[in-house]
Amino acid sequence: MGRTFGHIFMALSGLVLALPIIVVAGASLNGGRTMLFPPEDPNFARFVEFFVTETIWVQALQNSIIVAFGASTLAVLLAWPLAYILWARGSKASKVLAGLGSLPFALPPIVFGVGLGFLWAFTGNLGALWVGIVSHAALFLALPLVTISIGLQSIDRAHLDAAATMGATEAVTFRTVILPQTLPYSISGFFFALVLSFNEFIVMFFVSASAYATVTLQIFNSLRNGYTPTMAVAAVAFIVVSLAVFSAVARWGDLPRLMGADQSRN
Amino acid sequence: MTAVDSPKANLSAETPPTRRPWGTWALALVIGFLCVTPFILVIVISFGQKIDGAGWAWDFTFANYQRFFIGALWPEEVTLLHLQRLYYALYYAVIASVLAVLTAFPFTYLLTRQSRRAQSIWLVFILASLSLSEVFIVMGWDVLLSNRSGLPMLFEVSGATDWLKETGWFEVLREWGLANPRNVKFKTSEFATVLTMSYLVWPYAVILLYPALSRLDPSLTEAARTMGAGPARVMSSVILPTVKLPLIGAVLLLFVFLLGSYVTVVVFAEPAKQTTAVAVYESVRGSTLDAPFGAAQAVILLVTAAAFLALAQYLTKRSEIR
Repeated sequence: MGRTFGHIFMALSGLVLALPIIVVAGASLNGGRTMLFPPEDPNFARFVEFFVTETIWVQALQNSIIVAFGASTLAVLLAWPLAYILWARGSKASKVLAGLGSLPFALPPIVFGVGLGFLWAFTGNLGALWVGIVSHAALFLALPLVTISIGLQSIDRAHLDAAATMGATEAVTFRTVILPQTLPYSISGFFFALVLSFNEFIVMFFVSASAYATVTLQIFNSLRNGYTPTMAVAAVAFIVVSLAVFSAVARWGDLPRLMGADQSRN
Repeated sequence: MTAVDSPKANLSAETPPTRRPWGTWALALVIGFLCVTPFILVIVISFGQKIDGAGWAWDFTFANYQRFFIGALWPEEVTLLHLQRLYYALYYAVIASVLAVLTAFPFTYLLTRQSRRAQSIWLVFILASLSLSEVFIVMGWDVLLSNRSGLPMLFEVSGATDWLKETGWFEVLREWGLANPRNVKFKTSEFATVLTMSYLVWPYAVILLYPALSRLDPSLTEAARTMGAGPARVMSSVILPTVKLPLIGAVLLLFVFLLGSYVTVVVFAEPAKQTTAVAVYESVRGSTLDAPFGAAQAVILLVTAAAFLALAQYLTKRSEIR
């Protein structure tokens, strides 16, 4: 009795969670240019528009991809030494540094966005694409920092001791023990940052200064003119990317553990 | 996500701390520049001064803060408009975060009782909806709640509207601003704002509660059951006390997250009930172009957020000690 009720509750929650996604996915199939649900004259013409024919969207998608890949790579490259120092030394200074690195993610993004807008205006780089990449890397630094730290903590001490006993230098230990064991966690961190960067827009809005647009920014800019089914296509494309990425993380990494589940129970 | 504790590694015994200190300094410099200077700039510029037609200039004046709390024309006139916006920001965020945690709690509890495989599948779905951009979520709910499609249409077609009119509930809904003379309407309303906001953070709520609930020892609840406690009793005397602090911590974190939400408020809240985040945007990039005042409002948002984050941190620490 309680079990059935539990299943019904979970299914209902899942349904509500999926509801807007289903509606948007349905609307993306509209044959016409108005956002109707259920869709009218359903076909895939809007998909062709978004991915191939409409320059605005193709360009925006290209920018989104460049920014997301650039930012998440940079975030992982910055997070690695930080996580490593935090794990190997555990000094007060390294903890403070990690805390500072997580600030942008923890505080309201609109404040960080406004601040970055001021910063890049001072340096004279406002509106450059690389500025968008660096800004997103700073914003999402906290994500690879957390996943890599979890990975480093999961390394078996015995392996390190064994390496040390056999005379391995720190560099060799790092290459043969630490790096391979934390690789899945680094990749997970990379993907978390990638997906969130794809979907972020308010920080991007302030640092792009309307010089270029990513997909979310393009949608946000046309907010007042109303939605079109082409925008719904963008939403569908993004949710498919997220699902694929997180499925990959779940397939090749330990998603419950990354999310903080107790590992002793399976 | 979980907090990171660093167990002091015995690695430090093998590595002299003098090794390549410049690397650490360079890292500190980069992080300081990218993650800290933006916030410092916002704080410094909030004391600046607007110059008509030419942007703004450095200064040290409290005029922007005075304008926020009592209005620019004080003492002749007191304007509480900006405080009211902050009030609405807090108001929406409180209701939405409490709502999200209350509904996410039973869900997450049930989730952690599933098999590892089922948990992974649910987590993929939840993470995907968590990362979905606010613009897409607002788009979806906009279609669902707009007057010509979605729920109002469903109400009309299914006869629910007529039923509401017959039973007199329709008048109640009109009083709440959730109906026009002909049918129910959800845009623009506090209801739509809070609903979308709590949808926005619901997956975050699950992710935040997940570690605490999945570490809950099942033998505790089993013991209570064997001793004859009913499910309600087990919930109130075994489960809730153990997860009370993570629960409050989650509400606080989601609350901070929602303080800055922008698109939802712009689209779903009535024009008279907009929030500080919207005002920041308007001042910095919108029609008024008053960067120092925008920065001052951002600082107030920042201070509010930081205070609640510190409280959440303190509660998390306490729950880890226990």
